[in-house]
Amino acid sequence: MAEVTVYTTPTCPWCQKLKGFLHDEGIPFTEINVAEDPDKAREMMDKTGQRGVPVTTVGDQVVIGYDPEALRELIQ
Amino acid sequence: MNSPEHTDLYDLVIIGAGPAGMTAAVYAARKGLQVLVISKDIGGQVNWTTLVENYMGFEEIQGPRLMEKFREQMQDEKVVYREDEVSQVQVQMQRKAESVFAVTGRKSGTQYGRAVIIATGKRPRSLGVPGEEKFRGKGVSFCSTCDAPLFRDAVVAVVGGGNSGAQAVIDLLGVNARQVNLITEFDLTADQVLLERVLKDERVEVYRYHQVKEIMGDRMVQGLRVVDRSGETRDLPVAGVFIEIGLEPNTEFLDILDKSAHGEVLVDCHCRTNIRGIFAAGDATIIPEKQIIIAAGEGAKAAIQAWKYLMRQSPANEGTGGSLVSAGI
Repeated sequence: MAEVTVYTTPTCPWCQKLKGFLHDEGIPFTEINVAEDPDKAREMMDKTGQRGVPVTTVGDQVVIGYDPEALRELIQ
Repeated sequence: MNSPEHTDLYDLVIIGAGPAGMTAAVYAARKGLQVLVISKDIGGQVNWTTLVENYMGFEEIQGPRLMEKFREQMQDEKVVYREDEVSQVQVQMQRKAESVFAVTGRKSGTQYGRAVIIATGKRPRSLGVPGEEKFRGKGVSFCSTCDAPLFRDAVVAVVGGGNSGAQAVIDLLGVNARQVNLITEFDLTADQVLLERVLKDERVEVYRYHQVKEIMGDRMVQGLRVVDRSGETRDLPVAGVFIEIGLEPNTEFLDILDKSAHGEVLVDCHCRTNIRGIFAAGDATIIPEKQIIIAAGEGAKAAIQAWKYLMRQSPANEGTGGSLVSAGI
């Protein structure tokens, strides 16, 4: 399975919801808190073209926001 | 009453699964109604709320967590839930003794209900200017709580002079944004306690009586074009635009219902709309004060009213009640 990375901020309710979804589905993921790491924030913007969270990368695919259908499709 | 396993006809179809819709579902199911809930998500606007501190029974709880608890309680009852966006509600048949409504989802096709509750809530209002959609997530944000930390040391704009606009400014100052331009079409209307925090900070520049005309950029937002009342245009170099201009009801698809000038469904104190058998509750209605606890209460009221309506109207009083065939569809 492609590696799943979730870019988040701690104050983002949709990020909490997204992480809950991944936990419930049993999908392992790495969380990167872009609020505390400006370099990682820059990495997220360069990799995904996004300046908003949550953003998830599945391998080299990008899912914007909380989109369970898109995530299921990419991960299955 | 009905057996939805054998037909697409439910006693009650609830559109929306925020506090109003889910509370209505629990109340209706406990009255013995066969309930279908159709919603594009669970929780609605509450998912945007980091911390809820005024829902009784919880001193403080994360918004999404509170909605998760609502969902668990709804699923404990015999409620059918379908994730879909409803595109149309029609009166399929209306007679003195019985009505049937057709509720059409974009993915799931048409379901039928003998009564309907509208609980579709609201969404953030958008500006409707060029660049707004193109740069959504690329500098345009509707959630300062979520995205403010990505604008540390940046020059940004907040559009909206109400409480949520002022709060967005405070969020951005809190993450050390270099400069915050606050754009408001009229004067500032935020509470004094918030305005004091905003206006005393020298990083804040206020543009009263300015309208946003365009959000500009290449891959990401690079600027904002505003115009004042004299018609003078000004381009502000900004990396982020936070839009906080209030909410609008998710009611566009309800062309059969009477609505206010703001698009809110007109209801009486029994949650009844202009169409007998269709009820509405929560933020999508004209009921004042948009609060989680009020939406939940209105959802309970709508469910009880729908049950009373069905008891009075229903041929189910004479037996197990209408299948689509017996309803004449």
